Order: sequence, then structure tokens, then C-alpha cells
Amino acid sequence: MTFATSTRALLVSAIVFVAGATVTRAQPSSLPSVVISRHLAEARQLSIGSTIRVSTDRAGRRTREFTVVGIYEPTPNPSRLGSPDLEVRFHLPDLLDLTRDPATLAGSEAIDGINVALMDPADTQAFARDVNARLPGVDARPASAASGSAGPFIVLRRFHLAIAAVTIGAATVFLLALTIMLVEERRETVGVLRLIGLPARRILLQVLLEGVMVAAAGAAFGLLLALASERLINRFFQWKYDTALVFVRITPDVALTCVAIAIPLGAAATVIASWALLRRNALRLARR
Amino acid sequence: MTAWATLRRALPMAWRSLIRQPARASLGILGVAAVGALLLDMLLLSEGLIVSMRDLLARTGYDVRVTATEDLPRNGPRLRDVQATLSAIARLPQVRGALAVRFADAAVALPHDATLDASLEGVTGNAPHPWHVLRGRDVREPGEAVINESIATGSGAGPGAALMLRADCGVGTEALPPARLQIVGVAEFPFALTNENTIGATLGTVMAACGADGADQADVILVTSADDADAAVAAIKAVRSDLGAATNEQVLGRIQRTGFTYFQQISSVLTTITVSFALLLIAVLLTVSVNQRLGEIAALRALGFSRGRVVADVLCESALIVAMGGVLSLPIGAALATVLDRILKRMPGIPAELHFFVFQPTALTLHMALLAATAVLAALYPMHIVARLPIAATLRDQVAE
Repeated sequence: MTFATSTRALLVSAIVFVAGATVTRAQPSSLPSVVISRHLAEARQLSIGSTIRVSTDRAGRRTREFTVVGIYEPTPNPSRLGSPDLEVRFHLPDLLDLTRDPATLAGSEAIDGINVALMDPADTQAFARDVNARLPGVDARPASAASGSAGPFIVLRRFHLAIAAVTIGAATVFLLALTIMLVEERRETVGVLRLIGLPARRILLQVLLEGVMVAAAGAAFGLLLALASERLINRFFQWKYDTALVFVRITPDVALTCVAIAIPLGAAATVIASWALLRRNALRLARR
Repeated sequence: MTAWATLRRALPMAWRSLIRQPARASLGILGVAAVGALLLDMLLLSEGLIVSMRDLLARTGYDVRVTATEDLPRNGPRLRDVQATLSAIARLPQVRGALAVRFADAAVALPHDATLDASLEGVTGNAPHPWHVLRGRDVREPGEAVINESIATGSGAGPGAALMLRADCGVGTEALPPARLQIVGVAEFPFALTNENTIGATLGTVMAACGADGADQADVILVTSADDADAAVAAIKAVRSDLGAATNEQVLGRIQRTGFTYFQQISSVLTTITVSFALLLIAVLLTVSVNQRLGEIAALRALGFSRGRVVADVLCESALIVAMGGVLSLPIGAALATVLDRILKRMPGIPAELHFFVFQPTALTLHMALLAATAVLAALYPMHIVARLPIAATLRDQVAE
């Protein structure tokens, strides 16, 4: 549950992107504590116990010192791909002290939001309604609805689906061309089968079964190839962007969708290609 | 006979081979067209956003952007003491004009207690305003505003009407009183998002709407350099080292390193896949086709056709399939790019004028080069089969069959 408000600051952690962090090493002291992202620790060779001096402006005015008490792996964010997460997490009062405008009274600052963990997660809707009714000017929403990043992912999903549709279209055309050529190669065999008395429907069924088997084998090979390349692609891009983000994930749903498209498509291409052949005269097929 | 002359003589034969199997040839061409269309789109996508953004930045006429940090405007803290900062920048000899811009959200009051969400832009300085007036006139005095077509349609208001709005300036401002603005014109905002309602006014107007919140603050100062953007950036950094100043190219570089990386990556991956896919399938089509015509090719060799001539025949067949498919892929690719662009432009925060797929001559050249290379590579194996074909043994096998 998240709600945006401008009420007084509460004691929760916050994220700030700090301009002009300089580094000094010192013994652990009574300085306020912060945790930093792995990217920042690596970029500035910081470790637990390091003292950092932080300023909110590039000129380095109004600096304050903090002790690093932890290093965390930042939550992967696709919209910041390629840009290292140089983050420091403060206790909120420390952050407010650091960023407060001299003209602002302590305790009257605004914060961006409050995250609430409910005793019963099923109460989120009711709780949000209750807060919105009791606190005018506050916008309380279930965390799932508050996620602003949902939009881009929905759009990207549509984009990927459109690309997949074009790829399937191209693959279908090629498949049809190949099956027509392969069926053409077997015209004499089909002609002989027709001449010895096999009905066209029986031959078509045989062709269909053959098409299903070939398509199933192709789909299985495709899935194995995808599974083998999944780890390779993820490792390459995780190394390239220094992120824990997962780029490719072959889920059972994805695998089933692929199989559900590939097998009927392969079988249909075989039947369509054979249908034209089976409608011809058996004698012509056998070239007699 | 030169290789070129051999190819010219092989071309009509390759054409006849294709039209003899119209269904097969049509499907091959159609397949290349579909793959070629996807390839073209991926090439357009790889640089499309950057080209479009560069065009958009250049169109506004400002070549330097000054922010409080290196973050993009609205993504980082605001500039403070903006009037003093603006004066200091505008006085520099390397600067022709400077304009401070402050953004705020606003709820525009409509009849029957309804509201319309809008984006408010307040400007001050001696550079032209970042919008283009379509009807009416530009803002001159505090309290005046220009609106975009979207808000004019949504609110039914136009030049001469009044607009009541309540600003949300980002820091504890939900209790601000409503502000009354006089609409003096309808304008086009280059960076407005799709269907975004945008209002332009003076900085004083926005500050008044925001009350005490963030007074004398701005999100960005847009600068038009006297003649050299890099010199203007250096001069600004010399007087205000605490600010982030960047030329349009530097801003593009930042965007390229972060936000647009994904599309370049997916473009590279899909370009590789589509080219491999086309290569594999054309090679298979040609190989099966050649295998079915071994007897015919052996007969041609026996009649006196040289090895080079029959090899050229296969190469020409591949080139014809790829060339016709490639030509067909251009209109299909353009249509597909329009559809894909429409899908991607639904992404939040994308200006309506920004495009993901932008035509560039270099992309077309690369498209043609990749397809030509595909045609040659795909023909290599079937050419090898034809070149090493034993004439007598093949003819004997054909007779035996």
C-alpha cells in the first residue's frame, strides 16, 4: 500500500541521488549511518565502515558526513538500463536535514510517499478507501496500482507480440514454400498410392500425421534451442549492463504458446501443400 | 567471357526458372518481403529515436540546456535563485538568449465540477518561447496563457476565454487556491506528450499559481548560443560550476546511454535473427530447388553450358528472389513501421512528436547491403552442388529413374 502525501516526515528509508559524493576513509564513529548500492561501492571503492561526505549541490556546499553500514544490490530497473544505480539510502530524518531549504522549518518538509504493510493484505482496497475519505489531499492506492512502471511494460509486451506476429507470418510463408517443394518431390509416390486404391482422405491423414510429427520435433528443437540460449543471453546482457535484471525467461506459458502455434501451423502447411496435389488425377501424378 | 557478361546471360534463364514454378517463387519472394520488412524496421529503430530526438531538440532553437544536476529536466532537483542565474547566463557574450522554464501539474476546472489534468509551463527570459502559436497571440503579461489543441478541445475554451485551474507544484501544494488565467492563444508544444493537455504562461503566472512553493525556481534554462554551443557551455560552467550545462549532442549522448539502449539492443538482436532466418530459408529453398533440377542442369552442361554459366544461373535465381522480395519489403516495412511506432508511442512520457522509426538513407543502404549479402551467401551451397555436379553420372541416374 502506498500513499502520496505532504504530511510530516516519518521515519522510513528513502532514496536520493546525491550529486558530488566525495570519499574519505575513517574509523567507525557516531556519524549517521547509510547504506549504499553495489554500483556506488564499486565506482568509488567504498566498503562497510567507509565515511562518505555528501552534498546536494555540485559545488559541494553544505556537506555532511555519513558512515557506510551496508552495501545492497539495487532492484533492477529496466528504464535505467546502462546507467549504474549510484544510490545512497538514508534514514529519513538525516535525508531531510541534508536537503532542507534554509527557509523551511524542521518538521514541515514534504515527503513523496508512505509505504504501509497491512496486517491483512486482503484489506488494501478498503484501507485505501478509508484513508482517502479521512485524509483529504492524500492519495492512497494499493501498491499494485501505484506502480508507475506498468505502462512501459504493457507497451513493450504489445510491441514484442507485434514483432512475433510478423516473424510467424514470415516463417509460415517459408514453411509453405518448403512443404510445397517437398510434397512435389513425392508426387509420384502419392500417384502410385492413389493407383493402388488408397483414398485421398487416407493419404491426407497420413500427411497430416507426418506434418504433426515434424512440427512437434521442430517445436521441441526450438524450445531446446531457446532454453539453451536463455542462460547465454541473460549472462551476456547482465555482464554488459552490470545488472541482475533477467532479460529472457522461458516460462511454461511461453513454451506452451510456442508449441500451440508451431504444431498446428506446421501441420496446416503440410495439409495445404498436399491438398493441391491430391486433387490432381492419379495417373498424372504417377506420370503414366 | 567476363563474369558480368555471364551473369547478364544467366539472368533471363533464372527468370524463366522462377516463373516456371510460380507458387514456389511467389512464396519465396513473399517470405523475403516479410523478413526484409522486419529487417528494415529494425534498422530504422536502431537510430530512429535519436534521430527524432535530435530533430525535436534542433527544432526548438535552443542548443544548450542548463539544469541543477546532470539529470534530465523534471527528473532532478530544480534550479534555485533562477532570476539571478538567468541574468548571469544571459549576460554572457557566448549566449544569444536564455529562457527559464518551470513545469507544474494542474487541474483545470470544467463545468459540473469536472476537472481536466494538464501540464503547466511557465517561462521567462529573452529567448523565444518553447511553443508555436497557431491561433490568437502569444503571452505577454502575467495572468495570460496559451493552450494546446488538446485542452482547447477538452475544455471547449479558446482565445478570449478564462481558465480556472489549481496547480500542483510538487511539494505540498494540494491546498493552493485556484488561479484564473486569460487564454490569449492556441499553441503547439513540441515536447507535449500524446493527448497531453498543456498550458503555457509566464514564469510569474506559474509562480503565482504555485504560491510560496518553490518560488524563484525553474526546472531548466534553455539557451541559444551566439554561434558555438560548446563555447556557451564552457562559459556557463565557468560562471556557475554548480550547474549542469549540456549541448543538445551531450543531452542526446546521455539519453543514448540510458533510456534508448533497450531499443538499440533489440534492434541489433532482431537484425541478426532476421538476416540469419532469411539466409537459412533462402538457402534451403534454393538447395531443394536445385536438387529437384539436377537432371536438367546436367543436360544443360552436356549441351555445352559452362560450369560458370550454371553456377551464375543459381546465383541469379537467388538474387532475383531477394531483389523482388527486397523491393516488396519497402512498402510493407513502411506500413509495419507505422503500426509499431503507434504501439510504442503509447509508452508513458513519450512526446507526441517523437518517433521510434525514422527513415534514414543510411538505413536503406544497409538494408540493401544486408539483403545482397544474404542473396550471395544463401546461394553458396546450391552453387557448390551445381559446380561439382557429375554430368554423366547424373544423366545416367535420370535415365535409370
